[in-house]
Amino acid sequence: MLNLLRWLVFSIVVLAMNFPVLVTVITSLKSARELSFNPGFWIGEPTLENYMRVLGETDRFNIYGYLFNSTVASLIGTGLAIALAFPAAYAIARSEAGNRTLLPLIINLRAVPLIIFAIPLYMMYQWLGLLDTQLGLGLILTIVNTPLALVILVNAISDVPSELDEAAKMDGASSRQVMLMIIRPVVRPALVTTFIFGFITAWNEFLFGLMLTTSRAVPMTVGASFFFAASGGGVQWGTASAVMVLGALPPALLGLLMYRQISASLTAGAVKG
Amino acid sequence: MAIVNRAEGRAYLTPLVGFLLFFLGFPAAVNLVYSISTVSFETLRSPSLSGFGNYAAVLADREFWGAVSFSMRFGVLTALAECLIGLFLAVFLTPLLARRSYLMAPLMLPLMVAPAMIGLMYRLVLHEFAGPVPYYLFEWFGDSPAFLDVDNAFRTLLVVEILQWTPFAFLLFYMAYAAIPLEVREAASLDGASALKALWWIELPLMLPTLVIAFFIRFIDGFRVFDNVYALTGSGAGGSTTSLSIYIYQAFFKGGAIGKAVAASVVLFLASLAVLYGLNWITGRGRR
Repeated sequence: MLNLLRWLVFSIVVLAMNFPVLVTVITSLKSARELSFNPGFWIGEPTLENYMRVLGETDRFNIYGYLFNSTVASLIGTGLAIALAFPAAYAIARSEAGNRTLLPLIINLRAVPLIIFAIPLYMMYQWLGLLDTQLGLGLILTIVNTPLALVILVNAISDVPSELDEAAKMDGASSRQVMLMIIRPVVRPALVTTFIFGFITAWNEFLFGLMLTTSRAVPMTVGASFFFAASGGGVQWGTASAVMVLGALPPALLGLLMYRQISASLTAGAVKG
Repeated sequence: MAIVNRAEGRAYLTPLVGFLLFFLGFPAAVNLVYSISTVSFETLRSPSLSGFGNYAAVLADREFWGAVSFSMRFGVLTALAECLIGLFLAVFLTPLLARRSYLMAPLMLPLMVAPAMIGLMYRLVLHEFAGPVPYYLFEWFGDSPAFLDVDNAFRTLLVVEILQWTPFAFLLFYMAYAAIPLEVREAASLDGASALKALWWIELPLMLPTLVIAFFIRFIDGFRVFDNVYALTGSGAGGSTTSLSIYIYQAFFKGGAIGKAVAASVVLFLASLAVLYGLNWITGRGRR
């Protein structure tokens, strides 16, 4: 009986939380004709016409551009964050360096409202010619990703017994070699988790995309909002839904595949915070 | 034998520190200078120092305090609701989830969707002609509230935020709940404590540090909210949904009031520092 109640609560909660996603998927599968008279949950004739239009009419919809920009910027923002955080994490885990001040400072960065950096960054980007470039967006996403990357990697490296390092050093390896040839393979799962989680975070970022890009480097989250700003004739709900589904799909898929690892990293910053 | 000596440690930290100094230190300095300058888009390179006029203007601005009030209420209410619901779900659903970890995936899905995207999706869900919620409300009750007008927009946004982020609080509590040693529970039940009593007197106190941390994380995230509010209402409904982040954004981009926007940024930065120190102080004491 109690168990039945648990299933009931679980179903209601899952349904309520995923409601907007569900509605969007349903809407994306309706024809334009059906949309005009049926906003309900059932679909008379499911169709892929919205997806065909969004993906086919490339002169009208820049969906490939948005997807490409999001991919490139997220890859830069995740790869660079790991490249910077990994050696730093090794130093923090294996020596006194940075432990006292740097680590807490960077962890706290996670809680600082990013808007406060956005305005001077906008000006700085204007001077540097980084406005509306994928590289510029990627560099900022690096900052967004750094705190969690550092926390996850410091935890992972601290869990590796330091006897491993010592043994390698006895055999004449430099600390650089130890870091790259001993530690890196051992903490590979943590590196993969960091990468996946960072990629999702970067892909979903909105504020900097909105402020620092205008046309060439617009990412998916911002591009999707363009479909709602359509002038005249109102919003084309079918195509807009298809765009949202396509934009939400990459992080959602990654998340569903990796939810076990990600749940640990989601909470990593909190527990050590 | 130190594994990483001092010089090496410094060398490994330098790229990260340099990067952060450049991309955050420089903007922070620019913020400070501009906040005490007269500056416009034309004079970006030659701001003239003018004292604390921008701060005075911000602190005298009713819209600024409106935004502060929105962010405070939004942060506290969403954090509270997310923690309460998340805690209930963690305790109530653990027997169900413990042996079926695949059930966690649909619970975590909202966390994987961009908040901005969720905001856009609710524009569809709540739209008076295309959205299913007004459609069924009309169908069943003959009437549907205007979810995004002045009276309702705040409550609507609360629900949207809570539905997306409760899984985060839930996840923290679920892990904290699972981490309570089995012996503790056994000892409690041997001493004759009912499940409810054990929860109230033993398990909740053990989870207290996590509760505090979860509340603060959710409060901070709610306080600085931007994406979903901007995407859903664009601060609309007569400015009743302008969060502090949106206030700064609009002062800069729509109003061109750079000095004011930057001064508000510095105020917001100081406020978040205060909250962070408060949090560190509380959790620091909790651990001792």
